[in-house]
Amino acid sequence: MAREFDGEILACEPVMGDSTLMTVTLPRGMAGGMVAGQFVQILTRMDGSHDPLLRRPYSVYGVDPDTDTMRLLVRPYGRGSAWLAERQVGQTLDILGPLGNAFQISPRARNLLMVAGGVGAAPLVMLSEQALARGLSVTYLMGGMRAEALLAPALVPAAVEYVVATDDGSRGHRGFVTDLVPDYLSWADQIFACGPEAMFLSLRGVVMRHRVGGKPTVQVSVERGMACGLGACLGCVVETKRGMRTSCVDGPIYDMDEVVW
Amino acid sequence: MPDLAVDLAPRNPRELVLKNPVIAASGCFGYGLEYAGVMDVARLGAFVSKGITPKPRSGNPMPRITETPAGMLNAIGLQNPGIRGFVKKYPRVWETWSVPAIVNISAEAVEDYALMARILDELPGIAGIEVNISCPNIAAGGYCFGWDAGMSADVTRAVRAATTLPLIVKLSPGAMDIVGVALAVEEAGADAISLINTLVGMSIDVKRRRPVLANATGGLSGPAIKPVAVRMVYQVAGAVRIPIVGMGGIMGLDDALEFFLAGASAVQIGTAIFAQPGMLVRVIDELGAWMDKEGIASLAEIVGAAHPRRPAIVEAGQVGMVDVAEVAAG
Ligand SMILES: Cc1cc2nc3c(=O)[nH]c(=O)nc-3n(C[C@H](O)[C@H](O)[C@H](O)COP(=O)(O)OP(=O)(O)OC[C@H]3O[C@@H](n4cnc5c(N)ncnc54)[C@H](O)[C@@H]3O)c2cc1C
Ligand SMILES: Cc1cc2nc3c(=O)[nH]c(=O)nc-3n(C[C@H](O)[C@H](O)[C@H](O)COP(=O)(O)O)c2cc1C
Ligand code: FES
Repeated sequence: MAREFDGEILACEPVMGDSTLMTVTLPRGMAGGMVAGQFVQILTRMDGSHDPLLRRPYSVYGVDPDTDTMRLLVRPYGRGSAWLAERQVGQTLDILGPLGNAFQISPRARNLLMVAGGVGAAPLVMLSEQALARGLSVTYLMGGMRAEALLAPALVPAAVEYVVATDDGSRGHRGFVTDLVPDYLSWADQIFACGPEAMFLSLRGVVMRHRVGGKPTVQVSVERGMACGLGACLGCVVETKRGMRTSCVDGPIYDMDEVVW
Repeated sequence: MPDLAVDLAPRNPRELVLKNPVIAASGCFGYGLEYAGVMDVARLGAFVSKGITPKPRSGNPMPRITETPAGMLNAIGLQNPGIRGFVKKYPRVWETWSVPAIVNISAEAVEDYALMARILDELPGIAGIEVNISCPNIAAGGYCFGWDAGMSADVTRAVRAATTLPLIVKLSPGAMDIVGVALAVEEAGADAISLINTLVGMSIDVKRRRPVLANATGGLSGPAIKPVAVRMVYQVAGAVRIPIVGMGGIMGLDDALEFFLAGASAVQIGTAIFAQPGMLVRVIDELGAWMDKEGIASLAEIVGAAHPRRPAIVEAGQVGMVDVAEVAAG
């Protein structure tokens, strides 16, 4: 159940070139109930100001129930994220969460393919850990502009096959992460993707061209501007085959075949 | 403990008594259930539902919202299950709640407003109706009902005839003559007036050279509109005798006090809830503490107190502005 709470920043680790991996405290007992794909909304307001007015959504990168903490991956982009990226250890954040639905690993799935673009890497690390704990095989594909923008291999669980692509070819495949997908289509039972909208469109193209009998299925974490985060304002909807659905409560995870692209 | 209670329909036998004057605004609180987990909804004076229409609506294309300096623009497009879908789902839940639930209704024809009011009249779990007249009137070529005193009165009269429920008419800040509209809806049978709805605005994405919102225009809300809202409440309070519910950009107690002093008997909070759901209860608690500190026993003592030449204290039990129309005329 979502709550509004103060989280203290315990650590800030520079990652992926310009981003920060932040460790933040949670109310006792909350971590154990949080699942991969969920997010929190953070108030990124400047002191004594009404701006930025609305909270910013951040995927949960990981949780540690033993220490009652979570980790967030923050990439400075505009005003809110830049404010957040500048926070220091010891400061507190006004957080609303956990919010949203979760990635669903099918009971029959053996082989899972993760497809991450940029900070879309965040929820897929946690999902990989959940899958490994169930004894499943995971391949994690990640794309970025250049080598420094990628998740360092040390941050990806050791049992995961980690394959990368960069726009400039400075590491791994030169080109889009989705170029790598066809090699895994017959292996994967399920694909989980998080990244920019353009990546989804290209992933969808690749999958539609190559897959047989609707397999593998694809779940995507869709990014929409949000206000309430609780399904009240209807500002964040995604059009699905069953009508308009909120991406903060019914999402952010959708079955790719359900979304009207 | 100071008395925070207020009756928003003193002329109506079905009355609309709130234990405190803080109401969650339409479109910003869903149907109440969305917030039940994150805050104590029972502490509110009341809440207003998302706008309901005669038929289900899937709303506008995305993007529907964008942030602006100290505000936001929205073009949700009244996404809602329609009056019949609404009736099946929510009243039976609200019936078990102690907090009064007010239903916000929108339509594009006078008869449709009346039709919805007739359906709501008999239902349990509904404390009152808020009529959103910031909608295009199809019969008038899409001209907004709320911009015109005559059309606003037509809607009010039709709804009044269809229900005995307490009736709040919500004014549009786009009205040419806000006081004229207020007087017309009072005359047509409104129990109370609420204002303001959002102001029509637009943001343009310079990179794409296109409006940010798919609908191009949207309703501006939040702190950016507060001075306009306070001014309109002040003007309307100087003219009508029925209670006024003020809103527009309230972010905390000080903002709410401005509205009370301008002449509002209650306030609604909308946009602020998105960022800080806990603020609703905070304003209620801080209002009580403030009145204690100031030695104010009843809210009525400060309602409209910012008006010059107005009797300093309103008669006991009477909420709202008194006789300022005469003052203004004199
Ligand atoms: C469910 C969800 C999970 C998210 N998880 C993460 C996460 O784990 N890590 C992370 O760093 N970010 C994440 N984001 C995105 C994060 O919330 C954005 O960084 C933030 O909304 C941008 O806010 P800002 O204040 O920095 O930019 P603003 O100042 O609001 O944006 C500046 C401009 O950029 C546009 N814009 C904003 N965000 C984007 C974008 N992502 N792509 C393209 N244009 C944009 C805006 O419309 C605006 O015009 C997530 C978003 C969602 C919806
Ligand atoms: C996302 C959103 C949706 C809204 N939907 C409605 C609505 O359905 N009916 C209505 O009468 N007003 C609606 N409003 C207007 C608010 O109820 C309120 O009048 C306005 O936002 C000003 O108050 P605020 O600045 O506190 O938000 C909506 C406002 C927002 C921000
Ligand atoms: S952000 Fe308000 S409904 Fe999703």
